[in-house]
Amino acid sequence: MAVAEARAAAPRRRRRPPAWTVLGTLVALLVAGPLAGLPLSFVTDPGAFGAIADDLLPEALRASVVLAAGVGAGTLLLGGALAALVSFYDFPGRRWLDWALVLPLAMPGYVLVFVLLGQYDASSPLQRALRSVFGKGFQLPEVRSTAGAIAVLTLVLYPYVYVLGRAAFLEQSRDTFEAARTLGLGHGRAIRRVALPMARPALAAGVALAVMEALADFGAVNLLNYRAMTDAIYRVWYGAFDKPAALQLATLLVGLSLSLVALERLLRGRARYHGALVRGEAVVPRRLRGARAGAAAAAPVALLAVVVGAPVAQLVAWSVQAMGDGAAASDLARDGLRTVLLAGCAAGLAVLAATVVAYGRRTRPSRHGAVAARIGTLGYAVPGTVVAVAVYTPLAWLDRRLADAAGGAGIELGLLFTGTAVGLVVAYLVRFHALAYLSVDARMARIDPSLRDAARSLGADDDRVLADVHLPLLWPGMLTAALLVFVEVMKELPATALLRPLGGDTLAIAVWEATKDSRFDTAALPALLIVALGLVPVVMLVRLSRTGALAAGEIGEQDDRRNRA
Amino acid sequence: MLTALLRRRRRLVAGLVLAVLAVLGISVLAFGGSPDLVVYNGRSQYGDEQSFTEFGERTGTSMELRGGTAPELFERLRSEGADTPADLLVTTDLANLWRAEQAGLLTPVHSALLDRQVPAEYRDPRGVWYGLSLRIRTPMRSTERVPAGAITGYEDLGNARFKGRLCLRTSNNEYNQSLVADMLAKRGRARTERLLRSWMANDPRILGSDVDVLEAIAAGRCDAGLTNHYYLGRILADDPSFPVAPAWPDQDGAGAHTNLSGVGLVRGSQHRAAAVALIESLTAHPAQVHITENSELAVAPDVPAAAHIRAWSRVKRDPIDVANAGRLLPDAVALMQRVGWR
Repeated sequence: MAVAEARAAAPRRRRRPPAWTVLGTLVALLVAGPLAGLPLSFVTDPGAFGAIADDLLPEALRASVVLAAGVGAGTLLLGGALAALVSFYDFPGRRWLDWALVLPLAMPGYVLVFVLLGQYDASSPLQRALRSVFGKGFQLPEVRSTAGAIAVLTLVLYPYVYVLGRAAFLEQSRDTFEAARTLGLGHGRAIRRVALPMARPALAAGVALAVMEALADFGAVNLLNYRAMTDAIYRVWYGAFDKPAALQLATLLVGLSLSLVALERLLRGRARYHGALVRGEAVVPRRLRGARAGAAAAAPVALLAVVVGAPVAQLVAWSVQAMGDGAAASDLARDGLRTVLLAGCAAGLAVLAATVVAYGRRTRPSRHGAVAARIGTLGYAVPGTVVAVAVYTPLAWLDRRLADAAGGAGIELGLLFTGTAVGLVVAYLVRFHALAYLSVDARMARIDPSLRDAARSLGADDDRVLADVHLPLLWPGMLTAALLVFVEVMKELPATALLRPLGGDTLAIAVWEATKDSRFDTAALPALLIVALGLVPVVMLVRLSRTGALAAGEIGEQDDRRNRA
Repeated sequence: MLTALLRRRRRLVAGLVLAVLAVLGISVLAFGGSPDLVVYNGRSQYGDEQSFTEFGERTGTSMELRGGTAPELFERLRSEGADTPADLLVTTDLANLWRAEQAGLLTPVHSALLDRQVPAEYRDPRGVWYGLSLRIRTPMRSTERVPAGAITGYEDLGNARFKGRLCLRTSNNEYNQSLVADMLAKRGRARTERLLRSWMANDPRILGSDVDVLEAIAAGRCDAGLTNHYYLGRILADDPSFPVAPAWPDQDGAGAHTNLSGVGLVRGSQHRAAAVALIESLTAHPAQVHITENSELAVAPDVPAAAHIRAWSRVKRDPIDVANAGRLLPDAVALMQRVGWR
């Protein structure tokens, strides 16, 4: 068997693989490179997994699995239902809700949690008001619980499923749907039996993103004292000083994340839905009237009020209070500027890396390339703290070598990577490459490979094909990638905490430091800025996907025109 | 390979590369700066930045305070090694200084002035660390529902009268971990485990911060809790009628568990003289007064507690046995896990 493979590979080896493929594979492996330290910890410190980790592991694993299952089911139901509602029914406010439902993406989980804790805490105005109405013994359900953690993360992560599901519904051909109708299915049953199953790959991709985010979440889980794997990693490492055991726990977490994704693929089996991508006119949404229209509009509005409206109002109230107490606005402006610069820088580099990897795969599709590309996306499943350490260790080593070499030549170099923002940007790249790559690659998948063949047969080399054929078609995907990474970096907490260079904080850090002591009014202003700055790219993202910028936009426009008619 | 691309889309590529480099450069600059002294400051939220500012103004030293949790700062120090830009490490907890010392990250300081300013019990005999402030971790009681004599020791929090009425902070908090480690050092494993199990038998409500614990007691969700003294001191400074009071433990015995916030000189420091001058300044009278303004207790014997909590400085204290507690911290974390302290 092995001999046969080797023989089959032999003639191929004579043709050198295209430079872009080599570069793409290299970039993908480089991005994942620092994470190699995680499984290696089992080799270098085989005995590290001591009593504490053993004690913590069963409960933490159970908590993480429950969280993943809960958030998976929650985001699928909520995001899928909302996407179907907006795509297949017409009701007052639909056009507005279509994009507003993406806004929770700008709300970091830990901000939602601290607002909830502030409002739910015994002494808050809300609790006092409720107690004065319902009596002194009245209690709201505890936020610090399994259900609370699942609910909070579902509320901020459902947009992943919603966005991808909505895009899939927009691309679905009206013909398939109407064939189902003529075969006797009602509107509702046609959605359940035909449209939803056809959107399954997109919905599954959204759920996979949401679950990975939930598993790697640190801020919200920590504030809720939910003892998932990220909490166990933190405990073992910072409480018991046991870094190797922490890295081993992190390896298990990545394994859990990957096995959940694999499980989904297994369940999906061989089902493929290529037909769904054939372009056609989108399904005509059915107009709802009366109470049903009211209910269809009210439910999403209520959701947005809980996830965005009320928290922002509370943040504004606290901010006003804090400014009255003389909060330093200049610090905040500097923190904000730093945050935006870091996020912009990371977003630019992430898009560059993702484009190279995606184009490398396009110039020579191969199993190795696919595997390398997938390895590059692993960082998304790794908690920020662990990514930070994984990145820090090799960079610090490199820094010391460089400093020694420069010192020998009489140059005072300082710490080039770990002493500056460079290390932090590298960590963001490792952590969020998956988001950029998935966006760019999804766009690449819709560019017909025969375009490249045609351009090549006309004499263009791969560089020219990239510059003149692919880049002009790829840019919406690249922009989506940049915006996604930008928003995530703005919200990022644990890696930033560990790697931020001297000389200032980011907004997320400012929020976190104040939240740890329950000083919610101090945390409010930077939190509000994060949400406000995050809304800009989110709105751009939505506009991008709904106007003519995407190829599917043509369909979306027809869809919109029909609504107006 | 890139040459063709560069040739054809020179502007596009050059623009992209320039943009990335520019943003990278700016973000490096946005953090940049090379101060005279760098302090890794775990006490970033205690309002004593003023002491640093005053030192800077008096001596003309430019200073950079870098905040963060002790473990984060520790991890950085360890990775930076000899190339660290840090000169001082300030922590809110002695165990973290002990840990840094064990990892070889700190170096002793000898100064006659420091020996005079800081009593021997609040500094390391070899001069590796110096205390800045004292913080008592004590049971707290509701003044409305729990009479004054009802809690006289940590054991009383395990009394069945507090079943469902006890509030504790999470077990990944360093103050709780140090308390349990100190108990392991002084009471032994069996007694400490019995004590923690009696607390857990009361089904404690686990909250995220000491402030949350105090507010839960005030709001009637709990009758008793366990917090550092100055969190209550700060609240009482604004609201003297806040219905929570400390219940000082073991006043006929060992005294109340007392931890120290402290400072140590980083081994890799390039500015030792200035760093030692800063330690001296932080333990001198004006800086110690700033510390008491935050309701903490000063290490300097001649600086009294803040006026509204003056009586608290007469409480019998039991300073942490740092060497043994530091060594036992991993055991403490494991024990808290085993008894089910969330």
